Amino acid sequence: MAKSMAGSGLSPEHESVGDVLLALEGVSRIYGTEVEVRALDDVSLDIRAGEFLSIVGPSGSGKSTMLGLLGVLDLPTEGAIRIRGTDVTLLPDAERSRLRGEAIGFVFQQFHLIPHLTALGNVETALLYRGLTRRQRRSQALVALEQVGLGSRYDHRPVQMSGGEQQRVAIARAISTDPGVVLADEPTGALDSENAENVLQIFADLQSPERAVCIVTHDLHVADSAMRKISMLDGKIVADEVLRGGVVVGSGS
Amino acid sequence: MKRFRELVGVATAGLTARKVRTLLIMLGPILGVSAIVAAIGINESSKGYLKAKLQQLGTDLIVVNASAGLGFGQDPVIEASAVSRVGRLPDVTTVTGTRQLSDIVTVPFAGAEDYYRAFPVPVIATGPELPTTLDVPMVSGRFLNAFDERSGARVAVIGRDLADEYGYLAGEPRTIELNGLEYGVVGVLDWVLLEPSMDSAVFLTFSAAVADWSLDEPDPSRLYVRAPTNTALVAKEIPIVVSLGGPDGASASVPTDLLDAQSQVDESLNNLTKMMGGLALIVGGVGIANVMSISVIQRSSEIGIRRALGHSRGTIAVQFLFEALVVGVFGGIFGALVGAGVVWGVASQRGYTMVLSVAGLAGWALVSVGVAVVAGLYPSSKAARLEPLETLRLG
Repeated sequence: MAKSMAGSGLSPEHESVGDVLLALEGVSRIYGTEVEVRALDDVSLDIRAGEFLSIVGPSGSGKSTMLGLLGVLDLPTEGAIRIRGTDVTLLPDAERSRLRGEAIGFVFQQFHLIPHLTALGNVETALLYRGLTRRQRRSQALVALEQVGLGSRYDHRPVQMSGGEQQRVAIARAISTDPGVVLADEPTGALDSENAENVLQIFADLQSPERAVCIVTHDLHVADSAMRKISMLDGKIVADEVLRGGVVVGSGS
Repeated sequence: MKRFRELVGVATAGLTARKVRTLLIMLGPILGVSAIVAAIGINESSKGYLKAKLQQLGTDLIVVNASAGLGFGQDPVIEASAVSRVGRLPDVTTVTGTRQLSDIVTVPFAGAEDYYRAFPVPVIATGPELPTTLDVPMVSGRFLNAFDERSGARVAVIGRDLADEYGYLAGEPRTIELNGLEYGVVGVLDWVLLEPSMDSAVFLTFSAAVADWSLDEPDPSRLYVRAPTNTALVAKEIPIVVSLGGPDGASASVPTDLLDAQSQVDESLNNLTKMMGGLALIVGGVGIANVMSISVIQRSSEIGIRRALGHSRGTIAVQFLFEALVVGVFGGIFGALVGAGVVWGVASQRGYTMVLSVAGLAGWALVSVGVAVVAGLYPSSKAARLEPLETLRLG
């Protein structure tokens, strides 16, 4: 039921929504061999340019698995993951990694900055192996740091920064490559409310007609700040709602 | 090329972030390479030293010692007629006999007798050809000559060390006392590499020895023979020519052969050092593999994030391989430098000329790089196989 409504044939009626950037098609992910755990069960989802969506659900609902698959960090047991129409499950690792790096920017709950690199070095890491010169890398990374308001802290290491600042560096790293989709996993989970608000504001600013932002969270306040909310339970999408200025297009109930 | 520079940058950043650990894992290649380079360098330098010494001595000098024949109770000698037979051998250019005289107390002047009695100075009867045969120059004055030989004059030549000890000045009219008999010093012989005992000896003519020192016949007990061609063959002929079926025996040897043998001994010792160096390299490689494997686990989050940022498995593998490579390169360079330093130290201490092949240094540094890269294969493939989802702990 949810599947048919949230499937690839879905066309949201929101006017600012554009091309499909990232899509899951009938994706299942089964863990374990002796005891099979169906973490994700035949799920389809389109993420379009201009969308700001949140994925919510309790622990074990499959939202982390879905994030891993959306980010092509994991491969589905069944089904296809398409980045701008290309099924990446069929590609060799090098090609898939390249597409992942180009199309997707990640922000994690634990920031996952590389401790021995400066803020600039961390952002530059996302720009490596793309045929850029050192100068180009530096300037692109500095632009991204300035976008999150940390342009002056470029030479600080993660230990010299607060949690909120580290997360902003992580966001700068995610957007430095100008990806179509920014995937965030509980980006405010490790932050106090003030910093969380700050980070959410940055995410809201990141959204543009060419870019989609997707936040996985169990914080309903965060989830409700999005335009589109996808609710998950037991490995399935149970609701897919447009929250602001639109119509509720789907509900799993 | 850009990609290469990026990899070098990432690898050096990873290594400089943990300086002490990096230095520790570099220690293996450093020790291994320096041990091998030092072993080879010291070996080559000492061989070069021996070769130079051989060159100086000449490899065509034969030493013949009289050996006991039937004449019991007497020092074995080589008869003068046998000496002239040796001199007529086709390949022989010069022959000189020597005979050491016993029971002579030599003093620079009469009053010093008490002191010098305790330190006997060798007194050697010999012929005028000795400097030519041994290829040793005079420091000053002249050697004994045919006139001295014929006339039985009381003249002597002294070795260089003895001249120093007696405070002998070049050209100074000076006598020395041999058991109270005064001999005029006519010259000082330079150092004799082959026979260091000659450096503090007194040389007289055979005729003086017969006249003053109760020597029955002017027969030497040792011959120095120069044979520039067929040296080994001449060395074999001499004992036969000396004895000719008679009672006098002789044994001949080419002393430079001994030096040659000495360098062979050094070779086997150095092979051992080289093997130990090789072992140190292998152990160093194991150390690199070990420490880097732990490092991969510690840096799994970094690896996960790099994968998420679009770095492929191959790139991650190459990144860690590069870290191993950098360890190998610097370990090799430092090792080669340390080894060269050891060779320099030993060479200057022992008076060798330092022999060190630059190609050899580079070669062993390359071996260190190879060992490090092989050692890095396992950890880097382990890093490449890490699943990003497992290290990033989503949700």
